[in-house]
Amino acid sequence: MIRELTKTSLWLVLLLALLLPVSALAMENEDCLGCHNDSDMVGEELFINAQVFDHTVHAEMGCASCHDNVTEEHPDDGLTPAKAGCLDCHENINEDYAGSVHANNASCGDCHNPHQVRGLTEVSGHDLNQQCAVCHESADMVQQHDEWLPQANLHIAKLPCISCHTESDDYEIVLYIIQKESDKVLGDFELSALDDLQKLGGEKGAQGVIDLNGDDFISLTELRTFHRNPANEDLRLQATLMPSDVSHKIEILEDRYDCSYCHAAGPEAVQTSYVALPTAGGGYQRIDVEKGAVLDALYGTPDFYMMGATRNASMNIIGLLIILGGLVMPIGHGTLRFFTRKNRKH
Amino acid sequence: MAEKKRIYLQPKPVRIWHWLNALGIVTLIVSGAQIRFPEHVSVLGSDYKSVILLHNTAGFVVAISFSIWFFYYTFVARNMHKIYLPSRDDLQSGLLRQAKFYFLTYFLGWQNPHHPTPENKFNPMQKSAYLAIMFVLVPLVSLTGILLTNIEPLRNLILMIGGMKILVGMHFLLACSLCAFLFTHVYLATLGHTPLAYFKPMFNGWEEIEEHEDAVTSH
Repeated sequence: MIRELTKTSLWLVLLLALLLPVSALAMENEDCLGCHNDSDMVGEELFINAQVFDHTVHAEMGCASCHDNVTEEHPDDGLTPAKAGCLDCHENINEDYAGSVHANNASCGDCHNPHQVRGLTEVSGHDLNQQCAVCHESADMVQQHDEWLPQANLHIAKLPCISCHTESDDYEIVLYIIQKESDKVLGDFELSALDDLQKLGGEKGAQGVIDLNGDDFISLTELRTFHRNPANEDLRLQATLMPSDVSHKIEILEDRYDCSYCHAAGPEAVQTSYVALPTAGGGYQRIDVEKGAVLDALYGTPDFYMMGATRNASMNIIGLLIILGGLVMPIGHGTLRFFTRKNRKH
Repeated sequence: MAEKKRIYLQPKPVRIWHWLNALGIVTLIVSGAQIRFPEHVSVLGSDYKSVILLHNTAGFVVAISFSIWFFYYTFVARNMHKIYLPSRDDLQSGLLRQAKFYFLTYFLGWQNPHHPTPENKFNPMQKSAYLAIMFVLVPLVSLTGILLTNIEPLRNLILMIGGMKILVGMHFLLACSLCAFLFTHVYLATLGHTPLAYFKPMFNGWEEIEEHEDAVTSH
């Protein structure tokens, strides 16, 4: 009897030991968010948007990883929870950052909200620039860049600041689905929300709007179908040029004053592209697009054209034929004219 | 027997306009080629930004010069239709007559059936060609160019016509057509009674016309 009891308790202990760490971790985030996800309860300053936070890598680590002295009595214990320093984990970033002009003007938290962090491939270019716009207002930036940069408004509106202001070995084209805000013929466009795309995608979900066969790869044919589909009349693809690597060394790079850094790169430079689709929690998820899609004549990416880099080869051939057509008279007529020149001697 | 006649064919404003256009269009073609093919064409130096600025400036000069031309002939001189619009006769027989001359009888040594006057200075083929160029090619290439220099403010308009690729494609192919026209235009200008006969009036205004009485009456 005693042996049996010991056996049962042993099993119980084992079961508890297995379950406890998992449940404790999961419980803890939930416990914290039980109050901190409610701004009425904790106030704006301590509010954490659980929907956004849940999808960050920081959430996977758990609240207690950074706020390690929070007790079960919190907040009744009157203790202010400790905060881990960003550099405790992200020490390597500091090397880059310390050398940049930002180091003396902004701390990590001025640009990044640790409860909303995402990797470079999970944010839209628009979101990236929101961080910069806190200090560098868009209109001011257009004005400043306009002093030397052709189409400054276009560059500022469509490019992430870091595409020019950080070093990267490579760049890639990222396409976002945008949709018309209103029924007006000349209505403005905004980034499509997950809900809207899910409605359009039906059973296949948001991805089904553009990745028609659901193979996590968008072919040129799928891009063309997307653009020609009358149901997508109000949808477009907006493109931006993103650095492949992200650096915290934000600086003014002399070589970017030379337009040919991006524009004379030739078609070889713009072969890699992705479609970024919104995910739950306000992030983005990238799907590979067929190589060279942005070079398609009309329907691959109808709204994306980068002078000097994304010209289409068939269009060049048609252009050449037209120009050669202009040489028919000088060459053809000129030759006959030469051979019949005696007829015109009066 | 030949007698020489001089007519004042190209008034000074027309000559200024013509050469301004010529300079503008050649600049546009060369700078445009460099903008589209920067890694292959570097005629205007390696500063891409300056080439864009030059292209945009030349584009605006040609677009403004086009507008002046349009308003001058339509509202001041009021003879646009006479000079540029082919008449019923031009369409019924003139075009064929002129084509026959260029592609057949010219080689046999016959005279040009068209005799320019200040009021009717273009032959039927010229009229049709200029009509297409001045009423289709130049306005469209200018408009697409204006849209391309103002992408951000006019983006919704660009989306309405089908997007950037269509716009760029149109601008490029129209420009190629203008380039083709340029070759043909310069060549046809050498078809006067001497190779330079048609060039002179565009410099001094006066065209010397060599009339062969017998040629005119017999053909």
